[in-house]
Amino acid sequence: MSDGRNGPGRRQVLLGLGAAGAAGLAGGVPAARAAQKAADAPRGHGETRERQPFLGEHQAGVTTPRPAAGMVAAFGVIAETPDDLERMFRTLTERIAFLMAGGPVPELDPGLPPLDSGILGPVVPPDNLTVTVSLGDSFFAARPWLAGLRPKHLQRMTAFPNDALRREACHGDLALQICANTPDTAIHALRDIVKTLPEFLVLRWKQEGTVPVVPARPDGETESARNFLGFRDGSANPDSNDAALMERLVWVTGDAGEPAWAVGGSYQAVRIIRNFVERWDRTPLREQEQIFGRKKASGAPMDGRKESDVPDYARDPEGKVTPLDAHIRLANPRTREFAEHLILRRPFNYSNGVTKSGQLDQGLLFIAYQADLAAGFIAVQSLLNGEPLEEYIQPVGGGYFFVLPGVRGAGDYLGRTLVEASRGSALS
Amino acid sequence: MKLRRLLISGAAALAIALPGLAAAKEEMLHLVAPIADYKLYVAENTEKLVADTEAFVAAVKTGNVEKARALFAPTRISYERIEPIAELFSDLDVSIDARADDFEKAEKDPAFSGFHRIEHALWDANSTKGMEPYADKLLADVKDLHKRIDGLVFPPKVVIGGAAVLMEEVAATKISGEEDRYSHTDLWDFRGNFDGSKKIFDLVEPLVSKQDPAFVKKVADNFARVDATLDKYKTAKGYEPYDKLTDSDRTVLAAAVNTLAEDLSTLRGKLGVD
Repeated sequence: MSDGRNGPGRRQVLLGLGAAGAAGLAGGVPAARAAQKAADAPRGHGETRERQPFLGEHQAGVTTPRPAAGMVAAFGVIAETPDDLERMFRTLTERIAFLMAGGPVPELDPGLPPLDSGILGPVVPPDNLTVTVSLGDSFFAARPWLAGLRPKHLQRMTAFPNDALRREACHGDLALQICANTPDTAIHALRDIVKTLPEFLVLRWKQEGTVPVVPARPDGETESARNFLGFRDGSANPDSNDAALMERLVWVTGDAGEPAWAVGGSYQAVRIIRNFVERWDRTPLREQEQIFGRKKASGAPMDGRKESDVPDYARDPEGKVTPLDAHIRLANPRTREFAEHLILRRPFNYSNGVTKSGQLDQGLLFIAYQADLAAGFIAVQSLLNGEPLEEYIQPVGGGYFFVLPGVRGAGDYLGRTLVEASRGSALS
Repeated sequence: MKLRRLLISGAAALAIALPGLAAAKEEMLHLVAPIADYKLYVAENTEKLVADTEAFVAAVKTGNVEKARALFAPTRISYERIEPIAELFSDLDVSIDARADDFEKAEKDPAFSGFHRIEHALWDANSTKGMEPYADKLLADVKDLHKRIDGLVFPPKVVIGGAAVLMEEVAATKISGEEDRYSHTDLWDFRGNFDGSKKIFDLVEPLVSKQDPAFVKKVADNFARVDATLDKYKTAKGYEPYDKLTDSDRTVLAAAVNTLAEDLSTLRGKLGVD
């Protein structure tokens, strides 16, 4: 009778389990049945209920404010006919509409694999998810029945002088930009689409990233998030809440000379830009600031006090305050004529692991949107060629894509205008 | 005679594998014939594997590199057809078919043996030097495998699940061309894996065709797509090397393989095999 429930049993001690082992056995079993307070999850504030609208003239995820987690995944597409394409786009539309709205996952017979990965639980939370679908140049190039329908600026990304493009991280027939409040929600969406569309989509590469949440300041000043070089990134980004401005800079409009199906879409430039962070962190602060053209702590321009101040280059024609080859001065000279080159940036920071040399593989998943790829990203990047920052960065992947117009209502689907146009051209 | 014996032992094996068969669901009884047929298929393949390996090993041991190279891929194909069953003997699967990256010291690891050890010597060193013990072991292993099949109970879960497992194998570690990385004979292995998966599907197809004709058609269409794609690479003696596979054909194959893996993963559930 000495084998009390709460004490070590004589037999167990004799067997060599010792007091600790016996406690684990004898004491642990009843305790495990008691209700435990789950307390190992980080606490949120209801963000998982945040939802972005799926329907609209334009797809979500372009002018939508950036949430904390972002990803670009690129695929090869198998679709030999307009009918294949319609089936693919309708399935994709149905999945994205569900994932963005959230809701319970239908249950199946447990003898079958479940419909959903389950990584977000039985009820999928919307969590601010957006999934933005875009098409690459190769998608059109491989399909003669789409002849004449390729957006006029869409092209295969070619290397800029500082690029060291890795074949396995470039291009693609179709890209998904997946953003959400948490990386798990983005991963859940990707796994859902990979599982649901295996006959149409073959995954080629993906890059995930994050962007730190910036708390609101009491004085109402909004600050940009920092990149992995420690600088605020996005200070001069056009205001994505200004619909008229977005119509001019980001969205393809009816007078752009683009195929009619493409109206409401946008060009997407994706660049995976490695940052040599060890070397950067060994660079004097003054030099870092001269290279960027901003003060590191505040994000203010060299002649300014706060981040939102606009640099006055006219008063500094020789670059004594802001060097002429500073990153922000090359990328946006703030002249009236430059307005047509403005792009909407939506980048995320990435951290991938360790290189063979034992250095951190970190950088920027750069994503930019514009109504005209040539006047936008390509023109801006050409201005940056040879900038001093190149010593610390190296683009290694990415591609150019065209974001499909939005889904306007029930019965509509992503890519409908393209599918219908392809049928039209097949008949003519 | 032999067929009959196999059929009987297949049915008996199934009876052992299904506890409480007397009370088992009626559809389980339907599985007796397909599983017996499958056992016959496996036995035919291991028999061929032994015969082919004998010739392959003889070429290796006599230092005939050219002949050994020619026999490498056709010898493996019968093993690739029955991989889900071979994996029931994990000791043999490791010594017959492990890859260099399964070992800490990769190609230099003395424990690295089997087909790929010899493949490495034939293509990388262009020689059979030092391969005699590996050749002897390979032959002993495949003979052992063949012998064990006869007495093996074929669990329905492994047989029915094997159709998807073969596709998972291709999708996860073969489509990239990493299986036969020295000889680039991967398309032969694909052929074997598809044959093996299709065999299982064909055997149980009558059991699902009534309840789900759309499923059967979709799976059959994807197998046909695979056949058409692989056939483009057929040569007089077999298949082109993997590096001849174009990006677009690899994409078509990858999509078909992933779709087959996805669809065939429901086969156990559809047949009530837990």
